Amino acid sequence: MKEKDGYSDCPEQQVILYVEKEDGKYGAMQTGSYISANYIDDFFFKRGNLEKTLQEKIERGEINAIEYYRVLEELTVSELASRAGMMKWTVKRHLKPGNFNKIREASLKKYSEVFNVPIEEIAGRQSGNRK
Amino acid sequence: MRKLRGGSQETENSVMIIEDYHHKMAAHCESGSITSLLNHAGMTITEPMVFGISSGIFFGYFHKMKSFAFPTFIVRNKPGQMRKNLHKRTGVRFYSKDFRNIDSGQIALDNLVLSGIPTATQVDMFYLDYVPSWERVHINVHFLVVIGKEDDLYKVSDSYFPNVVDLPVGSMNKARFAQGSMSPKGFLFYPEFVPPSFDYEKAIRKGIKKACFNMLCIPIPFLGIKGIRLFAKKITDWPSMARDTEHLSHEVMKINILLEDQGTGGAGFRFMYATFLQQASEMINKPELKALARELMEIGDGWREFSLFAARIGKNRDLGPDKFKQMSELLYQRADKEEDFFKRLSKTIK
Repeated sequence: MKEKDGYSDCPEQQVILYVEKEDGKYGAMQTGSYISANYIDDFFFKRGNLEKTLQEKIERGEINAIEYYRVLEELTVSELASRAGMMKWTVKRHLKPGNFNKIREASLKKYSEVFNVPIEEIAGRQSGNRK
Repeated sequence: MRKLRGGSQETENSVMIIEDYHHKMAAHCESGSITSLLNHAGMTITEPMVFGISSGIFFGYFHKMKSFAFPTFIVRNKPGQMRKNLHKRTGVRFYSKDFRNIDSGQIALDNLVLSGIPTATQVDMFYLDYVPSWERVHINVHFLVVIGKEDDLYKVSDSYFPNVVDLPVGSMNKARFAQGSMSPKGFLFYPEFVPPSFDYEKAIRKGIKKACFNMLCIPIPFLGIKGIRLFAKKITDWPSMARDTEHLSHEVMKINILLEDQGTGGAGFRFMYATFLQQASEMINKPELKALARELMEIGDGWREFSLFAARIGKNRDLGPDKFKQMSELLYQRADKEEDFFKRLSKTIK
């Protein structure tokens, strides 16, 4: 790739690309991320829609707040169990929509650490199903 | 203030910033961290040379794995392997250690940094506060270099960012001790011995031979060139695996992120490896490598064409079977080109 073809305008996300310079030598150039420069709005649009859809599913009782964050953070059940330090079958049980209120405080804390959100926010997302 | 090793400075409050550490952006986190640490230790070596000698170039496709929510692929060798290969081929010796608990991991990192040793550590990118929200994903194999500590803030040289950044101790501990597949366990390393010189020709040859072996000969159907072909075959199944069109669009656009954005130097490391071949050609006086470097640059252009195509159809939600067929064909072409390329590269270096 020629140096002039590598340029993207995105000050928020800079990357290094290896390109062909004018003298024919290959070397590094600092530029903006192509996908962030051109398509970041689309990323937030889709993310917003996903959050909305998942929140509506919580309200209809189809999923619970743990499943909400699991889907949002693109974690499999195995990966979530491994990250939270729990057995897979325990996580599967916790993910059932009606079981949110049965999740112990200690387990909720583990989930909150994995998702990096406070317990109150997870509980709040459950729309009053938990105090 | 008291001068410490390497021009570092310490105040009465144990504030330490290793001031002579030269922060530099790099294409990739692991090769970038290693290069910066080696440069700091007095070794003159470039990032593409580190990448090439350590046989960084690779391909692997994972259609169904318990740790991935959707099919994905890799374009480099296993994390950690660069450091090990570099040690074998250049004689650089790294001190490395992982930890069972957060306290011992933090104490070890603090002690190293406070004694003036820039130290690389492995983290989960999700917990790094300075990373923009859209880039924060659970990836347990990101590397950064800690070059100072000021009260409850680490001074971090992350090769994906133009400047040195601050990271609170709490976030660093979360990132270093995240669980899950390939969990970092607080892993840290720094070069403890750098040879005054080494046989570049031997190291380059070994690095290239191993890269060719990895791409052509591993008898596992999802690795190397076989992996590219499997990707080409399986990508047409993606629509049936997605929740809805927007999910499919997100996953298709991630192809672009994995190839161009996620620290590859463009075209899934192909551009960086071409740069390595060009530099190697001059260092060991082998003009054939220069011609091969040009060829790989062109192969990389094809990968970029594929990744830009993926980003475009993802954005336009133009995700019909014909587009996946087209992507599959582009991938088969890449596989054929790379198979031919690595076979000839292997013969050239014999």
